[in-house]
Amino acid sequence: MSELILDSVPGLPSLYRSALISSVPLPWARGRSAKGSGIPELPTVRHSVAGVQASVADLTRFQQLIGAPAHDLLPSGFIHTIAFPVAMSVMARADFPLPLLGMIHLRNSVEHRRAIHFSEKLSISAWAGDLRPHPSGAQVDLVTEVTVAGEAVWTGRSTYLAKGSRLAGAAIAPKEERTTFVPPRLTTLWDLPGSTGRSYAAVSGDYNPIHLNALAAKALGMKQTIAHGMYLASRMVQESKPAGVESFAWSIDFRSPVLLPARVALAITPRQEAGTWRGAEITAWNARRAREHFTGTLTRLAGTD
Amino acid sequence: MVDQSAEQGSTQPSTSVRNAVVIGGNRIPFARSGGPYAYSSNKDMLTAAIDGLVARFGLQGERIGEVAAGAVLKHSRDFNLTREAVLGSALAADTPAYDVQQACATGLETVIGLANKIKLGQIESGIAGGVDSASDAPIAVSEGLRRVLLDLSRAKTTPQKLSVLSRLRPRDLTPNAPTTGEPRTGLSMGEHQAITTAKWEITREAQDQLALNSHHNLAAAYDRGFFSDLVTPYRGVTRDANLRADTSLEKLAKLKPVFGKGAAGATMTAGNSTPLTDGAATVLLGSEDYARRHNLPMLANVVDAEAAAVDFVHGAEGLLMAPVYAMPRMLQRNGLTFDDFDFFEIHEAFAGTVLSSLAAWENEDFCRNTLGLDGALGTVDRSKLNVNGSSLAAGHPFAATGGRIVASLAKTLAEKGSGRGLISVCAAGGMGVVAILEAREQ
Repeated sequence: MSELILDSVPGLPSLYRSALISSVPLPWARGRSAKGSGIPELPTVRHSVAGVQASVADLTRFQQLIGAPAHDLLPSGFIHTIAFPVAMSVMARADFPLPLLGMIHLRNSVEHRRAIHFSEKLSISAWAGDLRPHPSGAQVDLVTEVTVAGEAVWTGRSTYLAKGSRLAGAAIAPKEERTTFVPPRLTTLWDLPGSTGRSYAAVSGDYNPIHLNALAAKALGMKQTIAHGMYLASRMVQESKPAGVESFAWSIDFRSPVLLPARVALAITPRQEAGTWRGAEITAWNARRAREHFTGTLTRLAGTD
Repeated sequence: MVDQSAEQGSTQPSTSVRNAVVIGGNRIPFARSGGPYAYSSNKDMLTAAIDGLVARFGLQGERIGEVAAGAVLKHSRDFNLTREAVLGSALAADTPAYDVQQACATGLETVIGLANKIKLGQIESGIAGGVDSASDAPIAVSEGLRRVLLDLSRAKTTPQKLSVLSRLRPRDLTPNAPTTGEPRTGLSMGEHQAITTAKWEITREAQDQLALNSHHNLAAAYDRGFFSDLVTPYRGVTRDANLRADTSLEKLAKLKPVFGKGAAGATMTAGNSTPLTDGAATVLLGSEDYARRHNLPMLANVVDAEAAAVDFVHGAEGLLMAPVYAMPRMLQRNGLTFDDFDFFEIHEAFAGTVLSSLAAWENEDFCRNTLGLDGALGTVDRSKLNVNGSSLAAGHPFAATGGRIVASLAKTLAEKGSGRGLISVCAAGGMGVVAILEAREQ
């Protein structure tokens, strides 16, 4: 895999603008993929930026929005927002074989190996991998690695779905059987106002129109604006993890989008061993209708806190 | 579950300090929110309650050692609520004051704090109290408008100011009203209690019976004149406006559940839960010397108190169960058991709260494994429980409840002339405070 060194973290608005221009119907299978040979290929290049430092003002606003104490360590989701434009720049490449706008966020998994202070100089590297079929299209992983002086401190893998993008030559993935969801006893309730997407866009810089404006969301196939997956994930991690645990892994699987405004019910079940927090299991669903929104898991890592 | 046995706290009652005594109390009748006190502020009601106490004990122009009170729903302009109430009262203007906020335990905590100062000889007299208005609740500007206004005050040039103002959006003009939800879980107190009520399998009938007893006991206490020297009429209200002397199990049974409705067999109704209430209560405390010099009565000694908190956030324990943990620690320290008490004042936030606490203390497994005791803590004799009514009947103006309970229990002990009384108050944030009063030797 080759490496493209960027001077700085690219701006998301310009990435979205170029994505908007290239979203003019132009089926990738004809124009943007490897020519006629069956399964399209992902770009074999990683995009990297060095010397990235968090803005304290952005950090404070992010912490306040997700209800985290405003200490000097970076929340796991905040690192994602810093690194996300680098991953986006990979997806916005002309040779990236899936349409960027309207892609659906299916899953995140993150290893957050140690406490990361806002003053640390971060090196960010992102690449795409594992393009594979999904019952409703094609899915791909964007891997983002954050290192400090060569030490990998944070690794995130985001899985996205491009609906309707059939991978020519690949077998169609079988549909998972839908089981009826029986809500567990709730422990937490989130009242998310209609402005949730706009508020998170303001602190994360992720101005994807499906989070901002109902008309834009409809144009991209959603009934209403939806909450950012990383907003939900950041709050989930914040509310499930005891303060002081700074070496942990977490993952979130999105089952249905959170249409705004929303009441999201959660059951957060901690795992304890001999009085020590080992992790937690999370289920979240629509409090009005028993429809599952996401499940998540946290696991304490053996590293130092 | 963290081991909450006595090891972290004090295990010895201090014997080298003097007594702090409850001299008396005064409150205004409590009223449902939106009722007769709808336009009275916290400061108005607290001043009224203090002035009633002043009149009752001849404290006009007196300098009191310290006045401590608080409110749970508090305007930012009321940062010095208690001092402002003192300045508006008939007390001497050189009486110092401070505010306390410990959610629904605020009132009880003011009594404990001032009693401790009296015991240590720092003050001779103190007025403890609390007030809350759910009617005159503070409403804040939206977060967006607040940030714009703050940044505007820091902007120096006109272009800077215009740039800040351009951030204002129509939605920023929608104000924020307070909610009863727990900040960390988003669940209302009732929803939290519904989880605990279900866990301890407390029946609807038992909750309705407790509510009925509360109304009947409070009505009987009014009828025999018990409150004539504890309550001063205000705004035309002479009795707690929530009191339903004629309620019955049949009437209570007709009410529909309001909390825990998601699950089958919801049991908590408006009848066995406290309503949002307005009101204020005060307690006069002093040293024995102070009471004698001023020829004032001594109703009871403030013996001891203990606070506890539980980790309710992920359901390790119920939100309102902290008093269950505080109780054995305090009893152990004083070498007492439930059998040593003649009266139990367990705050009725919800009937389910009282009954869940009683069930926990009676449960052998829970007391052994969770409280770390040798066996069940004991059974509270129901005939000694909330004998003059409690919050289900009187209502619950959050910070005022502690003062109501302490004054009523002290008078009950003085009437009997012997014995001890136990107080248990649960509070938001998974907290709870318990306390012991004892009758004065006759």
